[in-house]
Amino acid sequence: MTIDQSQVLRTYAEAARVAHEALTALDQISGDGDFGDNLCEGLDRTVAALDASPEEPAVAVAGSVFLDQVGGTSGPLIGLLLSAIGRALAEAPDPRAGWATGVREGLAAIQRVGEAEPGDRTMVDALAPARDALAEGEKFADVARAAFAGAAATAGIRARRGRASYVGDRVLGAPDPGATGVALLFWSLARVAEPEAVLGEVGELVPVPGSGA
Amino acid sequence: MNHLFLPEADPVGVSLRGFARAHPELVALHEDPLFVTATDTDPARRVGLLSGGGSGHEPMHAGFVGRGLLDAAVPGRIFASPHNRQVYEASRAVARAEGVLHIVKNYTGDRINFGIAAERLRADGIAVRRVLVDDDLATESDLTATGRRGTGATVIVEKLLGGAADTGLGIAELATLGEEFARSSRSVAVAGRAQTSPSLGGEVFALGDREIEYGVGIHGERAAATITRPPFGHLVERMTAQVLDGLPGTGDGVILLVNGLGATTLLELYAVHEQVSEVLARRGVPVAGQLVGTHVPALDMSGFSLTMTAVRTGWLAWWRAPARTPAFPHPHSQELNG
Repeated sequence: MTIDQSQVLRTYAEAARVAHEALTALDQISGDGDFGDNLCEGLDRTVAALDASPEEPAVAVAGSVFLDQVGGTSGPLIGLLLSAIGRALAEAPDPRAGWATGVREGLAAIQRVGEAEPGDRTMVDALAPARDALAEGEKFADVARAAFAGAAATAGIRARRGRASYVGDRVLGAPDPGATGVALLFWSLARVAEPEAVLGEVGELVPVPGSGA
Repeated sequence: MNHLFLPEADPVGVSLRGFARAHPELVALHEDPLFVTATDTDPARRVGLLSGGGSGHEPMHAGFVGRGLLDAAVPGRIFASPHNRQVYEASRAVARAEGVLHIVKNYTGDRINFGIAAERLRADGIAVRRVLVDDDLATESDLTATGRRGTGATVIVEKLLGGAADTGLGIAELATLGEEFARSSRSVAVAGRAQTSPSLGGEVFALGDREIEYGVGIHGERAAATITRPPFGHLVERMTAQVLDGLPGTGDGVILLVNGLGATTLLELYAVHEQVSEVLARRGVPVAGQLVGTHVPALDMSGFSLTMTAVRTGWLAWWRAPARTPAFPHPHSQELNG
C-alpha cells in the first residue's frame, strides 16, 4: 500500500481553507483568534514548498515549514507532529505503521512540550483517540471519526491550560479549535487513502459556530 | 506620549546589532534567526548554557553572554517569547559534547517554544535539559497550574550555573544543580510607576500619587494589590520579610540581588540595599554574596525587586568565579575579597 503524502497535505490545505472561518470563530471564543490563520498559512506554505521541491518527502517538508515559519504556539506544535510522522514514514515498512508510529511519537512530543493531558481541552484531545485508533489498526476513516469525536467532546470541557483557561465557562458549547484543526489532518488522510469511505464534508464536520449548521 | 527612544521598525534587532557592535571582543551576532553567542568560553565546559526570553529586560540575557556565564542568548520581541527556531539554531551553535542546557523563565510561551526547540534538538541527537526559574512570590497560588513567574533569580541561577559549568560538570549534574538553585530562590517586586507601552506610548497602568503596586511582574503585569505607599523602611522591611519567609530555608546564607526595574536610580537601589542588609543582619541571615543594579528591568518601569537565593556548601565558589561579559560586574567584587 502507498499513500500519496503530498496529496494528503494538499487535501489538508483545502480542508483548512474550507474550515478557516469556523476555526477562526472557534478561536475567538477560546483564544486569540489566529489559529485558523496559522493553520492555513502553514499549509499554504507547505503546498508552495511541495510545488518547489516535489521530490522531497512531503510530510517532513510540512514539519519543517510549520516549525520554522509558522508563529504562535499551535504552529510549531503541529510542526512537531508532522516532523515525527515524517520521520516515522521514512523508517516504517509500510505507511500504516508509519502513521501509527509517527502520531504516537508526535503526540508524545507535544505533551512533553505543552504539558497537556487528555481532558485539558487542547489538540491532545483529538490526537490521543487518533493515536489509539491507529494503534489498533483501524481504518483511517475510523481514525478520522475518533479524532473528530475527541475534538467534539472538548465542547463540554473547561480549559485548564493555555489561553482558553483564562475565560472559564465561556468556552463551553464550542469545541477547541486546535483539536478540530488537527482532526482535519486525519480526515484528509482518510480521503486520500480510502477514497471509498463515507465521511462527512468539512463544512458539515466543522460548522461555523452560531450558524445553525 | 511615548518616552521610549526606539526605532519604529525592528527595535530589538537594531538594539542587538548595536550591542554586538559595542562588545565585539565578547559576543558575536547571528541574524536570521536572531541571537548572540560568546566569542570566548572556558575549554573545560562540556555543556553549552543558553538562555533567552522576551526583550525589554536588558542587560538580561545578552549582557550575560561571555566567559564564565552564558554561551548564547536568544531575544524575543519586547515581552514576547523567542520563536523556537531561534532557540534551536542558537542551541546548535553552542552545544558541546554533552549538549546544551536551557535556562528558562516560567512563562507559558517560553516553556512551549524552548520545549519545541528541545524536541528538535533531541531529534538531531543533541542532549538538552531545561532549568525552569520560578521565583516570583507574587504569583504563588495553589489555584493555578502555571506556578510562579520567573524574574530576578534568573541572573543568580545563570551565574551559578556558569561557574559550575566551567568546572566541567555534565549536563545531568548541571540540570539538577540548576533546579536546586531555582528552588532556593524567591523574589518580590514593587513599582511606583508603570513602564511605557512600546506600541501605544503612555504608561501601561496608572497609579495615584500615594500608591504603589506591590507584586508586579517584569512585563508590566499589574500586581494583585495596589497599596498606599508605606514609609521606605517599612516597605523594604515588608518585602525582605516576605522573601525570607518564602525561602525554603536560608542555607549557609543568601545571595542578595537588589534589582532596578528600569527607571530606578542607583541612589535608590543602594538605599534599598542598605535597608535590606540591616533587616537581614537583625534576623541573623548572613549575606554571602550580593549584586545591586539594573539587571532584570521591565522596560522603563519605576520600581525594584528583591531576590534572595539560599546558598549551600560549594555554591559560593561558582558565584565568585570570574566572569567576563558585557554586563555582569567585573571584576566581580567578591572575587577580590575571596
